[in-house]
Amino acid sequence: MLVVTCPVCGVHGDETDFHCGGQAHVARPASTRPENVTDAEQRDYLFIRHNPKGLHFERWRCDRGCGKWFHAARDTVSLEFKAFYGVTELPPVELMKQATGTWAEFFKDKIKAGKAS
Amino acid sequence: MSDPVFRSALAHRNDRNSVPGLSIGLTEISDRGMIDLRGAASDKKFAGAVKDVLGVALCTKPRSSASAGDITVLWLSIDQWLITCPRSAASDLHGRLVKALDGIHSLAVDVSDMRAIFRLEGDNARVVLNKGTSVDFTDGTLGAGSVRRLRYAEIAAAVHVISDAPCVMDMYLFRSYADYAWSYLSKTAAKASEVKLFGVQVGIGV
Ligand SMILES: [Zn+2]
Repeated sequence: MLVVTCPVCGVHGDETDFHCGGQAHVARPASTRPENVTDAEQRDYLFIRHNPKGLHFERWRCDRGCGKWFHAARDTVSLEFKAFYGVTELPPVELMKQATGTWAEFFKDKIKAGKAS
Repeated sequence: MSDPVFRSALAHRNDRNSVPGLSIGLTEISDRGMIDLRGAASDKKFAGAVKDVLGVALCTKPRSSASAGDITVLWLSIDQWLITCPRSAASDLHGRLVKALDGIHSLAVDVSDMRAIFRLEGDNARVVLNKGTSVDFTDGTLGAGSVRRLRYAEIAAAVHVISDAPCVMDMYLFRSYADYAWSYLSKTAAKASEVKLFGVQVGIGV
């Protein structure tokens, strides 16, 4: 059982009170430049997801609490949550630095804009 | 023209007025009206307009409630509240809210027939609720005035703690779940199914 804390309303509870919404930080290319989206970009946006062993970043919803979406950093090996943060926010800087593989690649140019937890 | 007539979601049940052999008091509250209100609590115009109509400020602390006279405001989310009042007053109150909120980005809807309300009373009520949810009602964090939305017996519900001693709690759930929840509560609140730990009755705070 995963124990989740909602950063919006502060409720703390069992995973069945929440809903996991898959990988976080997936940007829709058509939102920023609709006139110029390649098939490969659209494919990546719809279907290609990171699958790391270790630190992962996900979307969760406070399903039976305040109903809001938020982000969570979770270790896929230990299942331990490392941080909960807002749906419009980047993960804490130290977690962006710890990210590996495709996530490290993704956060590379975002670490500067991030905040410490 | 035909006028809508309210009919209890339990009207078809012959145990709707009293379930025999329960360890708690279980009754349906059907004379309460409900208005769903959404808006930004940080918007002073919105908060002010709502306060003028209700006579009480919207509660912004998570899982809290506020009341004035026969109007009670239940916190549902950071931008959502359930306003309760006598059923006969709901349509008028809703009309006044809509008028006061004209031009302000918000939403007020009369949802008096959307939910069923069950009242649970007695020392055993918190333990009975614990049987259906991962939320611990006996850990001392949900005192009088608290509102907790939760997953109860697999369905969405909200519990408003009216008072602590004596323990009185109102459970709000979607109308279509009323029959199921009434059955579930009747079984789990039966005297014969009281929770006992090593032969000792578990009470509040144990
Ligand atoms: Zn929440």
